[in-house]
Amino acid sequence: MSQPTSIAFESKSTFLQRHSSWMIQTAAIIAPFILFGIFLTFYEVNPIELYSSMVATTFGDLYGFGEVLLKATPFILTGLAAALPAKAGLVNVGGEGQLAIGALFATWFAIFYLDQMPALIGIPIMLLAGALGGAAWASVVAVLKVKGKLNETITSVLLNYVAVFIVGFFVHGMLKDPNSFNWPFSPEISYSLRLPVINGTRLHIGFVIAIVLAVAVWFILSKTRLGYRIRVLGSNRLAAERAGMNINRMYFWVLLAAGAIAGIAGMIEIAGIEGRLRATVGTNFGYLGFLAAMMAWNNPLRLMATAFLLGMISVAGNKLEIFSGLPSSSVNILMALVLFFILGSGKLVKR
Amino acid sequence: MIADILTGAIRSGTSVMLASQGELVSERAGVINLGTEGSMLCGALGGFAVTVWSGNPWLGTVAGGLCGLLISLIHAFLVISCGANQLATGLTIMFFGMGVTAFFGKGFVSQQIVGFNPVPIPLLSDIPYLGKILFNHDPLTYLSMLLVPMLWYLIFRTRLGIILRAAGEREEVLFASGINPRLVRYLAVLAGGFLAGIGGAQLSIAYTHSWVENMVAGRGVVAVALVIFASWKPVQAMLGAYLFGAAQALQLTVQQQGLAISPYFLFMVPYVLTLVALLIVERRKQSQTPEALGKVLAGSG
Repeated sequence: MSQPTSIAFESKSTFLQRHSSWMIQTAAIIAPFILFGIFLTFYEVNPIELYSSMVATTFGDLYGFGEVLLKATPFILTGLAAALPAKAGLVNVGGEGQLAIGALFATWFAIFYLDQMPALIGIPIMLLAGALGGAAWASVVAVLKVKGKLNETITSVLLNYVAVFIVGFFVHGMLKDPNSFNWPFSPEISYSLRLPVINGTRLHIGFVIAIVLAVAVWFILSKTRLGYRIRVLGSNRLAAERAGMNINRMYFWVLLAAGAIAGIAGMIEIAGIEGRLRATVGTNFGYLGFLAAMMAWNNPLRLMATAFLLGMISVAGNKLEIFSGLPSSSVNILMALVLFFILGSGKLVKR
Repeated sequence: MIADILTGAIRSGTSVMLASQGELVSERAGVINLGTEGSMLCGALGGFAVTVWSGNPWLGTVAGGLCGLLISLIHAFLVISCGANQLATGLTIMFFGMGVTAFFGKGFVSQQIVGFNPVPIPLLSDIPYLGKILFNHDPLTYLSMLLVPMLWYLIFRTRLGIILRAAGEREEVLFASGINPRLVRYLAVLAGGFLAGIGGAQLSIAYTHSWVENMVAGRGVVAVALVIFASWKPVQAMLGAYLFGAAQALQLTVQQQGLAISPYFLFMVPYVLTLVALLIVERRKQSQTPEALGKVLAGSG
């Protein structure tokens, strides 16, 4: 905001600026829950009951806690796929498609090359395949950005639709299970390729992978030279240019790394939960990850917390459907409300 | 067969065309609205619901437009009044639109309506070849065709158009001449949302005659991309939308002809085509971008 006119417009904000930023942030998280609660009462759902049962399921027993962590796992990864480029000043919304293509690559490798492999070799190769798939898909966005000067937000959203059709093409064709009675999904991957599970829950080691990656991305961003350069690029492109950075090369590799992380999320969905590829793999996970990253102000450590919160909301959504007959997609409204408040309060908070 | 594709291009391109004209107005004032997708979804559902209740597709169209307008009001408020990131806000609205319409649309999935049907224009529709392509459409399509020259005139030949463009290029000038640029932007975004809503309503009331969850399927995003492709000019945006429509019509024709091409490849064509079109145009020019918008697209808005 460098225009002279903006001074006249923004004299109002001094009142809010007196409040410390954490109060605004907390209010921005709480307000949408109140608003959604009011909305629920119109549908004869008691919001207090819902929210308290949400907390009770999450912290009541090991299984419930595991379910929430399980839901949070892909959100952490697709969130990283949005947060890392955001630090470089890019808006990558391609997590959705990058996850899908990652899942496709991982399934392809699992079925055609890794069927007889022991877990210790097979799972890492499958993981790399997923990362490769996601990175390959992100490279389309990256090339369009660097060579074609096309805005990455628009191209990555458009490519999400294309990615879903590509997965559809394969599960209806080359990857279709011959014993599926014409249902469009791949054969099941070998049992040895399934991710090991923690006893008493459905939680698998994919969660650990997500945490390790989140910490690694945080470390790189805040403690290394490379991370510093990425942040400089994101906060002041001109300064980065003057300092002699190769901006296009940075953009390219940051987008590829983001795609690889989203691709790993796709692999984890296949090897950890689904066991086979469907055209609907990870629907909305990319957008929810983007949301989690926004809520965390693109900080990888905070992202783990916001992904956990979204995991809780997702599990609550399933409960909502079972107990009150409201579609589980209703919680998407809650999630969008949360983000509206975050976006609205963004300029009030000093980062 | 070619006539079929061209007719289909207009028929399935109209919803995108309406949305892209709306987005064009909004972007001329310096606001890019990816929430167009959400506006279209809400317009499609709102228009469909009111048509089911009232039996009157015109009422449905207006309702669809108003739904789109309401959704775009959120965008306008967050972006213009709160200074939120335009692209991120637009995406959230897209997501919000998916959630809201999935929620309220559940009861409408199997409903049926009469809606709008093609009305051949007397005499004109008898022109060989052209008559069938251009003059045998639903009323909303005719209106959308009239809208394009009107919008062109408004933007490039009237005082109102200068004010609109100034909001996107040099807001200080507007401010100095006593006009509040924020108000202009608000109105432009709302107008854009209204048109996107009507576009969505055209999809559900006139094109498919049904409501299906997430039926807009990226058309709103395509509309945003087309505006850039069209260098912010109404006629080019119309042509782009019909190109998208043609790619969709191609799908149906190929399937009817029984050619052995996977439908999934054909589904991709409109989106890939949009990307290619963007790429070609972007390589040619750079300077016509409204200045306020250029900042957003470069990542500092």
